[in-house]
Amino acid sequence: MVTSAYWRTRLHRYRLVGNRCAVCGKAFFPPRLVCSYCGSTKLEECKLPERGRLVEYTVVYSAPKGYDVVVPYVVGIVELENGVRVVAQITDVDVNEVKEGMEVELTIRKLPEQLEGGMICYTYKFRPVIG
Amino acid sequence: MRDVAVISVGYTRVSEHWEKSLKGLFVEASLKALESAGLSARSLDGVYVANALSGYIQGQTNLANVLADSLGLYDKFAISIDAGGASGALAIHEAYMDVAHGIRDLVLVCGVEKMSEASPQDVVSALTSAQDQEQFKYTGITVHSLAALIYKAYLKRYKARQEDVALMSVVDHEHALTCSHAQYPFKLSVEAIMDSAFLAEPVRVLEAPSPGDGAAAIIMCPHEMAKELGLPHVRVAASEVARDRINPMEREDLLAMRALVEASRRAYEKAKVKPSDLSFAELYDDYSVMGVIALERLGLCDPGGGVELLKRGEVTLKGSVPVNTFGGLKARGAPLGAVGVYQAVEAFLQLTNNAGQNQVKGARVGLTHTSCGFNSVVVINLFEVCC
Ligand SMILES: [Zn+2]
Repeated sequence: MVTSAYWRTRLHRYRLVGNRCAVCGKAFFPPRLVCSYCGSTKLEECKLPERGRLVEYTVVYSAPKGYDVVVPYVVGIVELENGVRVVAQITDVDVNEVKEGMEVELTIRKLPEQLEGGMICYTYKFRPVIG
Repeated sequence: MRDVAVISVGYTRVSEHWEKSLKGLFVEASLKALESAGLSARSLDGVYVANALSGYIQGQTNLANVLADSLGLYDKFAISIDAGGASGALAIHEAYMDVAHGIRDLVLVCGVEKMSEASPQDVVSALTSAQDQEQFKYTGITVHSLAALIYKAYLKRYKARQEDVALMSVVDHEHALTCSHAQYPFKLSVEAIMDSAFLAEPVRVLEAPSPGDGAAAIIMCPHEMAKELGLPHVRVAASEVARDRINPMEREDLLAMRALVEASRRAYEKAKVKPSDLSFAELYDDYSVMGVIALERLGLCDPGGGVELLKRGEVTLKGSVPVNTFGGLKARGAPLGAVGVYQAVEAFLQLTNNAGQNQVKGARVGLTHTSCGFNSVVVINLFEVCC
């Protein structure tokens, strides 16, 4: 992917900004151009809650190019406080200690440098809430 | 609409064909299909090419035009169909529609894929590239991890054991033992599966296909023409396509597989058959659990009942609903865009009584289920004996 594509997606990757349909109220992450429930194009940017619960997870051992240097890593479905579901990496947790139902929060982390030929990229991940 | 028949098939073994190019595989399968019908390439009205990854792995785009040219068909209609794993069956669907509606008469459908030229990491990237890259590229989510989340949901909802779900792969390997075009014609035990590494927990390496190369071709024409040509043939009884949200995580129910239910319902209705009438079914088991879910959502048993069918041996060649009669995706192999055409080839072999040791006795009607993106695109093709 080229640098402009990385730049273009910065809002959702750095700040967890999705959007919401002004007609039917459905929220989306990543943001959509057309509501996939009612077909409306009236979509308003909305910042998503940064906390949620880990609904389900898996540990990845066979990874795509770039990510193969960081296996094993955890990927899971996070249900945010407003009910929106985000699929993301779960970080700062041992693969043997990750648990369903865990409280998690947003954190911005560096991606493997191998992913974009040495370019340093960041993205959203979730980590367990301490205490 | 005209009745449509399949009059001939040609195929290569699924393997790592280091000595053969994408073009070489395509030409080999296509010429075999033409030869066995006694037809020349020049007699074709069009070529439908199914492929998913050539743009990614070989850097070859504009595939239909390049491949049709390589067959000497520089001036005939040619089109490529790319819908990931569903490409092959979707190409058959398109060819079927064109012949049925009188747009073309004699057509060749060839699915071809060459995955052995990519590294294992590249294959994961290539398979995952079928999902929306704005979301997937920067998260490290893989197709295997989506399968894992579906697998966990299945085990939980139906209180199933992985050892039982994995029987799907065991059956595939059992059927591949006597299949000359299978990539992995050897026995596989549940123990070996459970001892294999994880792709993404709980999905084991031996519950999913490995990258393979292969090409499969079929020739289709109006039923009347098939009779005039005096060739053994089978009738396309239905070809139905349905779609669902591409990212399974956005579906309300991870296990409902609405497109699979919808496409098969319409196909049964069109062909006037019930699931219990099927002589056999070729399932898109890109993961063992996806094969089990397919058994259920095709109506061969109730939701959650797939594991019981497997345990009772009902899906083996001698069972009541034989599936993956030549080894399915796991053992015949899964050259991605070609899978749907391999399934059609196998249905043809069964229904013309040419399946050798894999023959389902008295086979009358067979179903192929082909999908991509965890049944986000589902093609159900039904073939039946006629005349
Ligand atoms: Zn809406």
